[in-house]
Amino acid sequence: MKTSDLIDSLARSVTPVKRLRPPFVRAAVWLLLAGAVLALLALAHGLRPDLSARLRQDQFVTGIAATLATAVLAALASFRLSLPESSRWWCLLPLPAVSVWISTIGYACLTDWVAMGPDGVRMGEAAQCFATLLLTSVPLSIAMLIMLRHAAALRPALVSATGGVAVAAITSFVLALIHQFDATIMILIWNLGTAATIAALATLLGPTMFSWIASRVPPLPPVS
Amino acid sequence: MPLSNTPPIHQAKNRRLVLVEPESIQERAAPQTDWSVLMASAQDGDRSAYRALLTQIEPYVRSIARRCFRHPADVEDAVQDVLLTIHSIRHSYDPQRPFTPWLAAIANHRVIDRLRHETRKRAREIELSPEHETSAQAHANHDGIAERALIEAIDKLPPEQRDAVRMLKLNEMSLKEASKASGRSVAALKVATHRALANLRKLIGGGSAS
Repeated sequence: MKTSDLIDSLARSVTPVKRLRPPFVRAAVWLLLAGAVLALLALAHGLRPDLSARLRQDQFVTGIAATLATAVLAALASFRLSLPESSRWWCLLPLPAVSVWISTIGYACLTDWVAMGPDGVRMGEAAQCFATLLLTSVPLSIAMLIMLRHAAALRPALVSATGGVAVAAITSFVLALIHQFDATIMILIWNLGTAATIAALATLLGPTMFSWIASRVPPLPPVS
Repeated sequence: MPLSNTPPIHQAKNRRLVLVEPESIQERAAPQTDWSVLMASAQDGDRSAYRALLTQIEPYVRSIARRCFRHPADVEDAVQDVLLTIHSIRHSYDPQRPFTPWLAAIANHRVIDRLRHETRKRAREIELSPEHETSAQAHANHDGIAERALIEAIDKLPPEQRDAVRMLKLNEMSLKEASKASGRSVAALKVATHRALANLRKLIGGGSAS
């Protein structure tokens, strides 16, 4: 096909489209959705019984604050990166929060390991943790894939990676508020392990999923 | 169109080398507002504005594609790829922001992506040229050596086997027709053909007929 023919056919097929809102607005919408998921899970399962006591511990508060900051910054970075003209350096935005988050987990492991040891891995709690993990990460990943599908043709890997970090951090935040971790090994598995798995899966599968979603979900028509 | 980037002539004379951007790149500054307005109209479904925009940006996209591809067909494919990408993500353009950085980013992403893809493909595939073929014409590759060897081998077969092969295989007669022509039974012809083929395999592979 000649380029002039392509231009003709594109011009003939053009339909009105709804413009994307600014990236911080879209990131806020996604974070509100995450808040709704957390609220539903808290209603269904209840928050962890020792939450008020834990919230008085500086280490716990720093940890969850860093997790939440990672989620917010990574979401903002991925919505920003999905726009063609944005600089790729936006991917570094969540880095400070990520480093605080990982260092609090590391510090917790280092101080608690001797005190508690690796005992106390309870399978019942682990199964519930897994259910929370899926109920949080799957809908939020799908929402992010749909909201960022326009990145499929531009920089899918970078957008998937930052989006994966956002989902991983939110999941970790929800797990920390809902489930009680008694042993260091649980903290390691559920915080760092799941976060790394989600981020790795997003990076590996994200580009393919973006192309798949982008080919099936067209841009929205404007609201009249 | 004012060429604001072009250095004054007296300055140019004093320099040994004056770097001037290609014309198509110089053009991008002036129609900035127009392209932005055209795209905003296209987002609202205005077909003529969209056609005008795509026609106007095509030379600019082509100039980016030419930096990475030499072959005209590759340049054409890259230009079309960029135009299709623009079409599919036209909702990501915000009319309050300048148009050219948005367009340039899409064009660069797609062209570099294609270039990477082409380089990977070239690393694992070899394009066949006419020299890789012994001849473009099929009959010229047929040297007749194998055919002659087969005819000689058939001649060496015992008479009943030779006749069976000639009738059934070379002349492509049916078993009934061959039976009528030779006066032998269908079963006998089948057996003779089977033995003939076994003998031919031996003869061509080296050995004598039994």
